[in-house]
Amino acid sequence: MSDELIQIETPFAFNEENQREFDKLIGRYPIKEAAMLPTLHLAQRQAGYITPAVMKYVAEQLEVSVMKVKDVVTFYPMFFEEPVGEYVIRVCHTLPCALRDCKEVLDHLKAKLDTDVASETNLAKGTTADGKFTLMKVECLASCDVAPVIMINDDLYKNLTPEKVDEVLNNL
Amino acid sequence: MVEEKRILYEHLDVPDINTFDVFRQYDGYKGFEKAIAEYQPEEIAKMVLDSGLKGRGGAGFSTGEKWSFVPRDIEPRYLCCNADESEPGTFSNRYVLEKNPHLLIEGILICCYAMGIETTYVYIRGEFTLGKKMLDAAIKEAYEQGYLGEDIRGTGLNVNIYTHPGAGAYICGEETGLIESLEGKRGQPRNKPPFPAVEGVFRKPTVVQNVETLCNLPFIVSNGVEWYTQMGPTYADTRFDPPKPDANTGTKLYCISGDVNEPGVYELELGLTCTELIEVAGGLRGEEVKAVIPGGSSAPILTHYELDTRLDFTSLTLAKSMLGSGGIIVMNETRNIVDCLLNIMKFYAHESCGQCTPCRWGTPWVRDIVQRIADGNGRQSTITRPKFGIAENGRWGDTGETEEIYEDLDLLESVANNIANVDTMTWNTICVFGIAVSWPAVSYMRKFRPEFEAAIRESKLVTLPVAEATVPPEENYAYQQRFVPKEFADL
Ligand SMILES: Cc1cc2nc3c(=O)[nH]c(=O)nc-3n(C[C@H](O)[C@H](O)[C@H](O)COP(=O)(O)O)c2cc1C
Ligand code: SF4
Ligand code: FES
Repeated sequence: MSDELIQIETPFAFNEENQREFDKLIGRYPIKEAAMLPTLHLAQRQAGYITPAVMKYVAEQLEVSVMKVKDVVTFYPMFFEEPVGEYVIRVCHTLPCALRDCKEVLDHLKAKLDTDVASETNLAKGTTADGKFTLMKVECLASCDVAPVIMINDDLYKNLTPEKVDEVLNNL
Repeated sequence: MVEEKRILYEHLDVPDINTFDVFRQYDGYKGFEKAIAEYQPEEIAKMVLDSGLKGRGGAGFSTGEKWSFVPRDIEPRYLCCNADESEPGTFSNRYVLEKNPHLLIEGILICCYAMGIETTYVYIRGEFTLGKKMLDAAIKEAYEQGYLGEDIRGTGLNVNIYTHPGAGAYICGEETGLIESLEGKRGQPRNKPPFPAVEGVFRKPTVVQNVETLCNLPFIVSNGVEWYTQMGPTYADTRFDPPKPDANTGTKLYCISGDVNEPGVYELELGLTCTELIEVAGGLRGEEVKAVIPGGSSAPILTHYELDTRLDFTSLTLAKSMLGSGGIIVMNETRNIVDCLLNIMKFYAHESCGQCTPCRWGTPWVRDIVQRIADGNGRQSTITRPKFGIAENGRWGDTGETEEIYEDLDLLESVANNIANVDTMTWNTICVFGIAVSWPAVSYMRKFRPEFEAAIRESKLVTLPVAEATVPPEENYAYQQRFVPKEFADL
């Protein structure tokens, strides 16, 4: 993908706070490219998801090709290339959580939010019509002692049951 | 009953232990201060070697030995702390990061002092937002207090620590995958050699160490090697002449989850048995233990015949499994092993980085076979074949009996063994993720074969009683492959 082929609708640039954060980041590594993951995290937090404009901007900042940024974005599940809901709900479904009935939690969430589960290539599938929630399955969240667990944005919720899920959603 | 032995976790639940002041009150940074006041860097490295400390992240490689491979004449050298903790069933690093981050900083300082390292990157998995926040705050405090930065405590030592967030890829826990990811690329593991100790991040010598491993260092320095080596069993490896001591020293943060009453992290001396650990964790939830995964989902499964296996590096290797990350997952009699394997294979199929053909294609293939069996579409041949085994004359050969052919089980074993062969321990892939796939696949299938056969025969998942589901040791190739444990006498 050469740079000219990318259609940029709305250009992207860091706001002042993130620019300051970025300047700090870049000083930590002997090569600029190494700041890729933290920079993409920053950009995603500001833009909501990684648009072509974000990729182009990040590529310029880190002095690498857009292709390289795209390469990285597609590798890591935490970077989204499509819009997601205001709340991203990650339901752990690996073995220890499965042994503690995570399926019940997932089914309850599906019914309650009236949505399917997103796949990595189709986030819209798991996003509610009002754009408020995106429901996705993730692998072990390193909290198997308090299984089943879900993460809503940055917060972890433990020992869940369908009733507790209702409570959590009501308190959002 | 075995007592918990809290060393790394001793002060974990002290309120505000995450702040510098409280940490200091509980002897925080004393190990580091002792190191710089009383020892030369080489002496610290020697101590760590003598302590027998083995890496807690998965491979269980001697930490002191790893340090000795680092060339001292190439500058700069780096330390990468592996806080990617994504092995299913493992959750001990998370508590250190969230509750006692200064302990990790102290461990890092000791490692940096011993190895002459000035820059440390802590690679934290992306989902650990709280852990990263707590560690960042602790690092900031340590800079303010003069325990990080330039000329630490007037010794001329410079150390900087930076946290680096991952973004949800399991393979970035593999040390060279971590390094690639840290350099801002896809987390695809590198061919080895060169090992990271020689050529790691930014093509410089790099020490990669797990959080728990680093947290052991302050205590080794504070209390001495002798104190440390008294914990845990040391075996004599009699394959060498004279026998080489095989140390399993120290404590381990055992993470236990699944069907026990009180899942959690228990810090215990290395070397207790599965049965004892289940007891410590409040006992089994259910009637009977069906299976135990001893070291994270990558480890071969243990059956109820093997519950006396001691949970240390040597004993588990002898049992053809591994301690790995110390994530123990217990399954009771209601669990279906085919279903459990399916869950794990979905995980691996999702997490393969896609570099090597056997892993990229083989792992989803294994998953599909297990899925097919679980869905009731497993393939069975209509013909039978001669059964090989121990024949009448006592030798391996035709037993005169016939056996049914379960095509899908043969296929499963063949595909898995072509990713990585679990009997010869050779792999056709760049990294040992390949082994992490075929180990569970083959061991579950061999040890719980009746349950797999039943699912194929009856075209649906059948959960057999424990005794029927498990192949007894004497009939099982998987067990017969064990080394002879007698070779390792107690020292
Ligand atoms: C597929 C795979 C995943 C791994 N994941 C982790 C992990 O999440 N955390 C970790 O500390 N080590 C992990 N390791 C082990 C590392 O490669 C490495 O051995 C370890 O970080 C070295 O540190 P230690 O000697 O202190 O254990 C993984 C290894 C493999 C092959
Ligand atoms: S074995 Fe799998 S995970 Fe490891 S490098 Fe190859 S493709 Fe990637
Ligand atoms: S399996 Fe869900 S947190 Fe580990």
